[in-house]
Amino acid sequence: MEEARKKEILDKLAEAVVEFEEDMAREWAQTALDEGMEAFEAIMQGLAAGMETVGDLYDQQEYFVPELLMSADALYAGLDILKPHIREEDVKKMGQVVIGTVQGDVHDIGKNIIKLMFEVGGFEVHDLGRDVPLEKFVEEQLKTDAEIVAMSAMMTTTMTGMKKVIAMIKEKNPNVAIMLGGAPVTQDVADLFGADGYAASAGNAVQEAIKMISNLRKLQGKA
Amino acid sequence: MEELTPKERVNRLFKREPIDTMPCFSGMGMVTIQVINEMGIRFPEVHTSAEYLARSAVLTAEMFGFDAAIIPYDMGTVPEAMGRGISLYENSDDILYPTVPSKWATIDDVEIPEDFMSQGRMPLVDEAFELIKAQANGNLALGGWVLGPFTMAGQIVELDLFIKGVRKFKEKTEAFMEKMTDIVIKVAKNYEALGVDYMNIREMGTGSDLLSPKVWETLIGPNLKKIFNAIEIPVINHICGSTDLIIEMMNECGADAISVDQKNNLAESRKKLGNDVLLLGNFDPYGTLVTGDVSNVEPVIKKCIDDGADAVWPGCDIWPDAKKENVEAFVDTVRKYGKSASPAVGRL
Repeated sequence: MEEARKKEILDKLAEAVVEFEEDMAREWAQTALDEGMEAFEAIMQGLAAGMETVGDLYDQQEYFVPELLMSADALYAGLDILKPHIREEDVKKMGQVVIGTVQGDVHDIGKNIIKLMFEVGGFEVHDLGRDVPLEKFVEEQLKTDAEIVAMSAMMTTTMTGMKKVIAMIKEKNPNVAIMLGGAPVTQDVADLFGADGYAASAGNAVQEAIKMISNLRKLQGKA
Repeated sequence: MEELTPKERVNRLFKREPIDTMPCFSGMGMVTIQVINEMGIRFPEVHTSAEYLARSAVLTAEMFGFDAAIIPYDMGTVPEAMGRGISLYENSDDILYPTVPSKWATIDDVEIPEDFMSQGRMPLVDEAFELIKAQANGNLALGGWVLGPFTMAGQIVELDLFIKGVRKFKEKTEAFMEKMTDIVIKVAKNYEALGVDYMNIREMGTGSDLLSPKVWETLIGPNLKKIFNAIEIPVINHICGSTDLIIEMMNECGADAISVDQKNNLAESRKKLGNDVLLLGNFDPYGTLVTGDVSNVEPVIKKCIDDGADAVWPGCDIWPDAKKENVEAFVDTVRKYGKSASPAVGRL
């Protein structure tokens, strides 16, 4: 495939996500496959690149949550077509993540966006849903041996639960990286609770996750 | 100097009439674990008994010297009455507010029972208001609160679909917001009739972390205006999260006071709105009262006053697990620095 055509397809995939165009995402995902582009490249350099722009626009207060959610829909539309075509050797396991919203909190929009970003980034995601009892995070981490546990709380009042989960997990497996997110969570809170990562917005959550996992690999001497 | 009762102090504040000293109160949950322990009950039990609800609210005010008692503590009373159920977390050792376990999938599925005002814990909350009035003996101000229409919608319908609807199905979403607005008015008017002194409308989910100022202006503002028009007792427009971009629009909605949380630049807001507007806020209750050191409380509270708050309100609920000495320092600081006039309210 010519470079110019390749760039055009990737740009259109990104544009579809930024402009919330689900049909456009489907069409260009199909075009990418028809013209022989690798599915993994179309996802990472096209759809995910678009979502990165969306994250920036959110941070710049150009986009807000309705826009984030519509972009996510467009991304899923393209992802559904491309995902079955990813080559075995392209499935580079980034790692596993256990994700959920802590008990007492029934808000899961932020969690769902982060989950999508992990999926796009090649992580295997174990989604526990919302209003998740604290010990469930610990059990699921032990069961899957996931490298990352990501917890979200939308309300200050449920944030304290995170601290307990972190202590419980770290006691059993100090190498697990813990990532926190949600409106009331600040860097100070993340530090205080003993978390390894903190994402102020959906936009930078995946970058944060990738950084964390590479640190983890270094720690374990796998880098 | 004439000394006012807490109730007089709060009521005069909302009328912007001179008071003796700044009242210390809130429009959000204010019940502490010290009171729950003193009552010999467990936290989940407080939400399902009118007697416990009333007693805990009055005891909290008495223990710390707050000027008001306010109920209920959780956001689930109205959704529960509409048939969405309630999770009380009775077996959890943590302090968790009750939540709504299930939501309608889309706004098309929503069927609000005609008689929701008499369902679930609604009658229990009504009874608790009556009990507080009797127990407070005309001394404490009585506060009530209702979620704003957008936040209420988010409690009963899957929030992501509803939020996308803001852009995807504009007319349908607007019609649903009107429906929610009528519900909010109905609940607030009922509390007003029961003798509540002030009413906080908590439109929590509409800050600029979530919605654009443009959507706020077209979808949220007009509905809040309708609510504030319908309520005769003093009413507060409370929004948490980022409010710097919408503070002027909030002010145009016609509430008696505006309440914001710690994400708002209060000194700037005061400049934007002038000295006639009642501004309440805006400290981080979790960082200040739960995790922070007691020595940090005074500077935080004093800053709210210096920034131009007419009463120092927490940005959210005073979390039940707050440290006793921190809450005491909060009240002491308000008493210490609240003697002088605030921007909108003079002193006797």
